Amino acid sequence: MTTALIAEDEPILAATLARTLQKLWPALQLAGTAPNGIKAVEQALELRPDILFLDIKMPGQTGLEAAEELAERWDGARPFPQVVFVTAYDDYAVQAFEHAAVDYVLKPVNEARLARTVERLRARVDARSGASTGAGADLDAGLATLVEQMRGLLQQVPAAGSGQAPHLDVIRAAVGNVIRMIPVQDVLFFQALDKYVNVATLDGDALIRLSLKELHAQLDAVQFCLIGRSCIVNMRHVASATRDDFGKLQLALRGRPEKLKVSPLFAHLFRQM
Amino acid sequence: MQILTAPLPLPSARPWRLRRFANDLGLTIVFCSWAAVLIQLAVGDPQHLYQQMVYSNCIGLIAMLILDGVRLLFVPHLVSGRRWLLPYALLLIITAPVAHYCGIVIGGTILGEGWTPLSKYPNANQFYMILFTLCAIAFMSLIFVNRERVERLKVDRLEARARAEAIERQALQAQLRLLQAQIEPHMLFNTLANLQGLIAIDPERASTMLDHLISFLRATLSVSRAETTQLGQEFAAIEAYLGLMAVRMGERLRYRCMLPDALRAARLPTMLLQPLVENAIIHGLEPHVDGGEIVVEAALDAGRLLIKVSDTGLGLGDQDAHGRSAKGGGVGVATTRERLQALYGADARLDLVPGQPRGAVALLTLPLESA
Repeated sequence: MTTALIAEDEPILAATLARTLQKLWPALQLAGTAPNGIKAVEQALELRPDILFLDIKMPGQTGLEAAEELAERWDGARPFPQVVFVTAYDDYAVQAFEHAAVDYVLKPVNEARLARTVERLRARVDARSGASTGAGADLDAGLATLVEQMRGLLQQVPAAGSGQAPHLDVIRAAVGNVIRMIPVQDVLFFQALDKYVNVATLDGDALIRLSLKELHAQLDAVQFCLIGRSCIVNMRHVASATRDDFGKLQLALRGRPEKLKVSPLFAHLFRQM
Repeated sequence: MQILTAPLPLPSARPWRLRRFANDLGLTIVFCSWAAVLIQLAVGDPQHLYQQMVYSNCIGLIAMLILDGVRLLFVPHLVSGRRWLLPYALLLIITAPVAHYCGIVIGGTILGEGWTPLSKYPNANQFYMILFTLCAIAFMSLIFVNRERVERLKVDRLEARARAEAIERQALQAQLRLLQAQIEPHMLFNTLANLQGLIAIDPERASTMLDHLISFLRATLSVSRAETTQLGQEFAAIEAYLGLMAVRMGERLRYRCMLPDALRAARLPTMLLQPLVENAIIHGLEPHVDGGEIVVEAALDAGRLLIKVSDTGLGLGDQDAHGRSAKGGGVGVATTRERLQALYGADARLDLVPGQPRGAVALLTLPLESA
């Protein structure tokens, strides 16, 4: 039985997509609809659908962010859903999607176009159920596709956004009444915590009030790498990368006991040379 | 818009005739005094400089009265045009003896020296003085005309600049208006997608939604043609927009519009209110997981029009989990403020304050204009 989850904040659009899918693929079972980006991840983790339709513009978080989070939190016990993005007319997104060969559906939904997408999805789901007996591949096909696509999208973002801001040399972080001056080279990793970012060094932690994305834009991109939605690691302090039973990567650091999880989207940074 | 087409305050609006006359008067006195000095030096009789000064000034002032009187009364813009040259030369020739004779009569009276009766005028000596007077007043006229020409040019330049600025300002206004009237493609396509869905699910609601869409498009697209609108119309357009959004967002959007009947006819610039409502939706309620309520109300406050758009959405300072500010760069608000400044100066304002307990409130204060 193939199941699908639709994440869409506008109820009529969710119902319409469900109806059209029902017509084109009667055997597909709708596992549920999620009204926002946060519920989308929760429900996907709970319902484990084979196919996930993600609206791009949703409250809570966007479809892209939801896909990122899902990739990070998926435990690997079951194959990752096939992700199809859904978007209304939007110049940038559509161009980016085309460029990264992302599966997407345009709103208003064109039945012929959706039929082609359904065909592709069916072929992939069939191929997967045929090959699933030989599980143990470290990255399943659905996730591999998504990672490939998301990397294509992520690479386009910096080109569009960031200017050539000067790199940050010293982090000024408040610890009680004292402002600690921390040279960036001494930082092991940055971890996002709600509205703050934790700066982890050998001599303890400090908090700065800045978003991780803003911070990342000011750091040297070669030395400081995003390894997930909430973590930037200093590559010079990474001791080793290990794969766990589910094929997930973990980093060990020099001088601190924490293990850092690497999102599948950034696993390529730690492949052997 | 009344304010836009009001005449510009230009320098030429001042009482220029009087000013010019006063200017000429001063210039004449200086000129005559110099002439007196020149004459006394030429004659070699510096002891009688005072007497000469009195005569010179009397003659000069009378000549000036005649010349400026004719000029300012009959040919205010004589500055250019060769056709005035001959009549003016004639006027000079007539003025010279008249001014000279009257001048020496008045001067003589002031100095108590007695005066030549008209029957003995002019003697040979006086004939030369008449010629001298003619040359002097011709020269003086030349200076006057020249000065006027320079001033005229200055005024023209100021006027041209003011006109250019006014045109620029109007163009900017039109541009800002159009900017605010832009329909977001994302909004349009999402609405169409909803319509497409509703046609199959609930044709009756689809028809209502289409009505809303038509009203919204009509209001938004007609903006380029009109500069002002009635508050009643503006509220109708806003209700159409909110009606559309309510269908799209389902239970996540509740709205109320409150417009007292007395304010229905009040005039306001087009596309001033709608962007504020759109902002409340786009930045406040749409990105908010639970949605909320939007209230649009108009009221009269001490003779001024007060319009309040309040929502219970994300609010102004709030950032979502990813560090984006809910209100974006505030481009819409900045554009609205720019327009208000250009249209009303200090008479209108837009305030953006946090809502209680959450959300944002946009307060628009305008002078009340009724049609």
